[in-house]
Amino acid sequence: MCTLGGMGDSILIADEEKERAADRIAFFESKIRPALIQYCYECHSQSTETNGGLTLDSKMGWEQGGDSGTAIIAGHPDKSRLIKAIRYEIPKLQMPPDGRMPKDVVEAFEKWVADGAYDPREELTSPTRHDSGLTVERAQEHWAYRPLDLSQTNSAAGGNPTETMDRFVDAALRTNNLNAAGRASPNAIVRRLYFDLTGLPPSAQELSDWIGPAGDRPLDVAALIDHLLNSTRFGEHFARKWLDVVRYAESVTLRGLVFPHAWRYRDYVVDSFNADRPFDQMIREQIAGDLMSHNDENQRRRQLIATGFLALGNTNLEEQDKSQLDMDYVDEQLEVIGNAFLGQTIGCARCHNHKFDPIPTRDYYALAGILKSAVGMEHENVSKWIDQPLPLPKEEQSKYDAISKELAEVSRRIADLKKSSGKVTKEAKSRTDPGQLPGVVIDNASAKLVGSWMVSSAVASTVGANYIHDGNEQQGTKTATFEPPNLTPGAYEVRFAYAPHGNRATNAKVRVFSADGESTVVVNQQSPAPEDHLWISLGKYRFEKDGQSFVMVTNEGANGVVIADAVQFLPIAETAPNDTATKTSVSTSTKSVSIEPAKEDPQTIAKEKELKDLESSKKSLEARLVDRPMYLTILEKGPAADIPVHIRGDVHNLGEMVPRGFLTALGNAGVSTEKAPSRMELAQWISSPSNPLTARVYANRIWSWMMGQGIVASNNNFGTTGSSPTHPELLDWLARELIENSWSTKHLVKVIALSKAYQRAVCQADDRQQQIDPSNTLCWRGNIRRLPAEAMRDSMLLISGELEESVGGSVMRTNTKADYNYRHDSNRRSVYQTLFRNSLPELFDAFDFADTSMSIGQRPRTTVATQALTLANSPWVIARARAAAKKYEKMRSTSSSDLMLTQLFLDCLGRFPEPSEKEACLEFLGESGTSTNTDTEARNEAAVSGADSLQMLIHGLFTSLDFRYLD
Amino acid sequence: MSLAISRRQLLQHTACGFGSLAASAVLAGNAPGMESTQDATADGCHHVPRAKRIIFLFMQGGVSQVDSFDYKPALALHHGERHLFDDARQLAKTGQRTEHHLMQSPWKFRQYGETGRWASELFPHSAEHIDEMCMLHGMHTEGVAHGPATLFLHCGSANFIRPSFGSWVLYGLGSENSDLPGFVSIAPSVGNGGPRNYGSAFLPPKYQGTRVGGVGIDSLSIENLTRTDLADLEQRKQFDFVSRLNESQYGRRQMHEEELEAAIQSHELAWRMQRMAPEVMDFSNESASTLEMYGLNDPKTKAYGERCLMARRLCESGVRFIQVNYGDNSANPAWDQHSNIPKHMDHAQAVDKPIAALMADLKQRGLLEDTIVWWGSEFGRTPYSQENGTGRDHNPRGFTVWLAGGGFKRGHTHGQTDEFGFEGVEGRVHMHDLHATLLHQLGLDHLRLTFRHAGRDYRLTDVHGRVVKEILA
Repeated sequence: MCTLGGMGDSILIADEEKERAADRIAFFESKIRPALIQYCYECHSQSTETNGGLTLDSKMGWEQGGDSGTAIIAGHPDKSRLIKAIRYEIPKLQMPPDGRMPKDVVEAFEKWVADGAYDPREELTSPTRHDSGLTVERAQEHWAYRPLDLSQTNSAAGGNPTETMDRFVDAALRTNNLNAAGRASPNAIVRRLYFDLTGLPPSAQELSDWIGPAGDRPLDVAALIDHLLNSTRFGEHFARKWLDVVRYAESVTLRGLVFPHAWRYRDYVVDSFNADRPFDQMIREQIAGDLMSHNDENQRRRQLIATGFLALGNTNLEEQDKSQLDMDYVDEQLEVIGNAFLGQTIGCARCHNHKFDPIPTRDYYALAGILKSAVGMEHENVSKWIDQPLPLPKEEQSKYDAISKELAEVSRRIADLKKSSGKVTKEAKSRTDPGQLPGVVIDNASAKLVGSWMVSSAVASTVGANYIHDGNEQQGTKTATFEPPNLTPGAYEVRFAYAPHGNRATNAKVRVFSADGESTVVVNQQSPAPEDHLWISLGKYRFEKDGQSFVMVTNEGANGVVIADAVQFLPIAETAPNDTATKTSVSTSTKSVSIEPAKEDPQTIAKEKELKDLESSKKSLEARLVDRPMYLTILEKGPAADIPVHIRGDVHNLGEMVPRGFLTALGNAGVSTEKAPSRMELAQWISSPSNPLTARVYANRIWSWMMGQGIVASNNNFGTTGSSPTHPELLDWLARELIENSWSTKHLVKVIALSKAYQRAVCQADDRQQQIDPSNTLCWRGNIRRLPAEAMRDSMLLISGELEESVGGSVMRTNTKADYNYRHDSNRRSVYQTLFRNSLPELFDAFDFADTSMSIGQRPRTTVATQALTLANSPWVIARARAAAKKYEKMRSTSSSDLMLTQLFLDCLGRFPEPSEKEACLEFLGESGTSTNTDTEARNEAAVSGADSLQMLIHGLFTSLDFRYLD
Repeated sequence: MSLAISRRQLLQHTACGFGSLAASAVLAGNAPGMESTQDATADGCHHVPRAKRIIFLFMQGGVSQVDSFDYKPALALHHGERHLFDDARQLAKTGQRTEHHLMQSPWKFRQYGETGRWASELFPHSAEHIDEMCMLHGMHTEGVAHGPATLFLHCGSANFIRPSFGSWVLYGLGSENSDLPGFVSIAPSVGNGGPRNYGSAFLPPKYQGTRVGGVGIDSLSIENLTRTDLADLEQRKQFDFVSRLNESQYGRRQMHEEELEAAIQSHELAWRMQRMAPEVMDFSNESASTLEMYGLNDPKTKAYGERCLMARRLCESGVRFIQVNYGDNSANPAWDQHSNIPKHMDHAQAVDKPIAALMADLKQRGLLEDTIVWWGSEFGRTPYSQENGTGRDHNPRGFTVWLAGGGFKRGHTHGQTDEFGFEGVEGRVHMHDLHATLLHQLGLDHLRLTFRHAGRDYRLTDVHGRVVKEILA
């Protein structure tokens, strides 16, 4: 019966199925599960870690997949990422990372997937994505993301702003039932204001001017504050604070490469604080100054220079994966923008949604897309940052234009003279015109140079007018890159000219970058050029469209002078099959001018002289062009485009595209995003009064700079992991005060400096203060504060009479190519010292200077023995004491030790010496003075002999507590 | 005036968190009952440590594994043949696999010790200690260029600013000797990351390494440790004078202020350090045979010999992390033989005897028990020649590091590279894993040794790292 038969069949099929299922179970249990446990679970299971978001301890785990998508496509081993990973097919995805699985295990996995990846494991709990923290929707649960209430204005409320400010502080003290300390002594207030507003101490004379020779005249604090705010020292001091936040430096760590023009950005900051430029404008200029419109050339220059902010990162220019480098560059910019203006740790969202704050990865790439179109480097083996000629005032511009023009003319006349009637002077030797050579010839004049290369024509037979050499210096830091523009794809023989001579390197490394990759040819530059007395062949290479096609001459490990003269790309088709024939044909086709013995006739001599003159004027013209002002910047090159999410931050693992935009949690702050926003809109969004973070973050900074600690102690982090504000209403009031007074820094500084809260005395805590608020977060007293490294250094120079006070400009020695072991020898203020990442100025390292590689909101405060060692033994400190001793010795000789010491204490500590201090000093100098110590022997033991005693005394004073700390 | 203050008081009084803790470190070691090991990780060690300190012999530039300790007979058999490799540099630039000429080692290999493991003629003296060594042949790391790879080796990150290994160790364990710095880098180069390789980045600066000497500096000393232009007696008087001023200035305020007290303490500590450190760093009481053993009488070995001897002395004085550098300031440092591998011999001759002496000396003094000796480079080299030359290019995909002492298996070999020595194929150990394992031996769990900065917890091993249990004794 068909029914029966049918049944029989189906039973048979079912049996077969069962059997196959049993086989699959057996296969899974015997081969796959043990392997998964042995090789994978350690990093990919719910009970351990879920690296890359992938779990392999359940079927759902691999079905859902990790950050890169599904791990297994059943039936398709070749399409399954898991199989590719265990086959080690993809260099960046090789699993397990400790070493390959045995071959038979890999084959078992392949078979398992091909057979449908049968997996009986059911998860006990469904795998969860490990996202935690505040979501965008719930962002406003955190205070900092709530909008600033701009409906009520401070001015409408009326009253004196300082008094209003004090009311906020006093209210918090009342709530906590804390007594406030009284006002500090006039001496202390003067010294505090001098250091806080200018970073320098008041001199004895200035103290006397403000509070009288005996220190008893009433102090006009408002007048003093105005006086200090109007001094250029104010801008210098506040600039240094901002420079911490923007990780300002003039070199990069790797290779110590120097940013010769970064100082213009620093001067922009000094000038901005002195001019009290509205801070919202400073934000726009720093983020998008290059895109802003301008009314005059000054404004244009200022804005261009300000954008250097984006280019100051400590970039790893030698990263070989250039697309990685590009994203790292943007990442660094985002991190600093986030820290500096928004108090956000945006960088955390590069690889995954922010673990704590409402910043999804999409937001990160929305912002990164905006920055990505601006280019900060030209890529080479060691990429190069971007310096641009500064647009100049008409006169200057025309001056440089004239020089360029004259230079062109002189060069033309030199060329003409050399060519004229084929006659060549003695010096002219043999010059081959690159234009006359076959193939594509790049002369050294068109090479891109890294490091300092010198032009020379001392040796015979060159291509073009001259060649360049590395001066046999700074091996490993210089490259010259010869890149033909738009080389037609195809095969070429690449040849290199190097003007041989006995002082050359025998091991000059020349790298050829082609479709075949990178290859290095070692050239002995002492041996004569084998081909046409000009060239050596570097080999035959293929070059593809849009592929790399350049030759880089390096001085890595060179054992002599390295020369770069020219590079020739000879199409293989152009060369005849027979090699020797080729050489000949090339040789005959070059119209090289040969050396002719010069005739000593008057005409020749005159020509010789003319040429010599021309060449020397050419040199001086070139030197004058070197002075042309440049600035460090980024270039908006475009195309402006959205970029995709980079999965786990990997540039080679791209996810979905993200439209450019801002941080979703903060809203658009009134900036339209209908059109994809550019850097200009980003700047507007950040500097908008309706951005809830910007004004709060900056007002908090000013408070922190004045009071020693912020209302939000974590100045750079207003996120959920940052500190909570001690005075939330006061912070919002300060933020509004800033906005209402056109973002004036000076205004806010003055409001704070005038307050009772700022002027309180440093004093002992009573029991309640000690118990409730031992660290004085509520400002019930003044804080003891230490002088930063700059103020210590500048004070010593001021007291020794050596401080050179002039505003702006670079003090970097000319021709500084690397920052290693740089000798800082300028006596200008610390803010103007060349800020090298590998060689910080004196005292900076020991005294907690900000790390110049990242945005620093609050410097570390350490008290370590190396600081005391530095003060005691640094030759620089001793030299200051020596110079100061000369000055005060004069004073002593015309008055008395007693008067001299009084003056010295006023200059150094801003107060009269205590009797015990004066006694110690006089005994140290071997003078009994007013000593109450009648034990002569003890006095003699304390005394130091000789002419150095005053120097040692001043040195000791520099080391003492009150010199280093501020009441 | 009483300067006795407790750490608890100090913490109570300082608002700025970890930065101020430095003050306590200054005081630690003086106050009885105060464990300096507890000042960073709340609970000190995470587990029982097997070692107390590390000496890292850094071979800057990249020693070739196939010319030193990773013997590959197949290389000689297939010398000159072209094979496809995942060359790290080409991969970074082009993502392509490329063909290269295999190149045999110019040196002969032979077996050493009871374990009969192979080493080349480059390291005949070090190899005498081969039975003490735990060889890791399957090392791999990040970074193809020196800068990034060197930073990765030291800081666990090629591109980001991170604290160095020694800083993490000091942060985790504190110093054993408060009169000396706890982390010392001897003769470091200024190139390839320079100070960042012993910097503390966002960790408090007291954890940064102290530089002793430097490339191109003959004397091995600490900057500003002493002054020689003033007689001892005069210096003493000046110190007393400042102490008097400080006392008066402290008393003037009539208040208890920890920060000022810490400054006074640091002034006194500096004075002690100034007396003590030069003694630790002075070789004059070393015997002639010791000086000879370290090679101080031979111009070839003198420089590295002095550094190794210094390392032993610092080790005896309780310094936690001592890095003994062999390198230079160039972009192609020391072992970087791109074009001339035979030059490896010059470098080997400079370091081999001193390293062997250090091993013998540590052993005879019983220091090898709780000291880890770590020998290695930022990466290895390729088993094939670089283009037409006789050199080898960088190879981060497989290289050798050896460890000795400190609770590692003696005479053990872990992992192996492929038949040519190019890439780890078994027992691969990533640099993050090595970091995790070294921390483990010091009693620190790399997952729990964290520091909160800019809103998140950072660790040396980022989100990676695995303790290589297989090599622990």
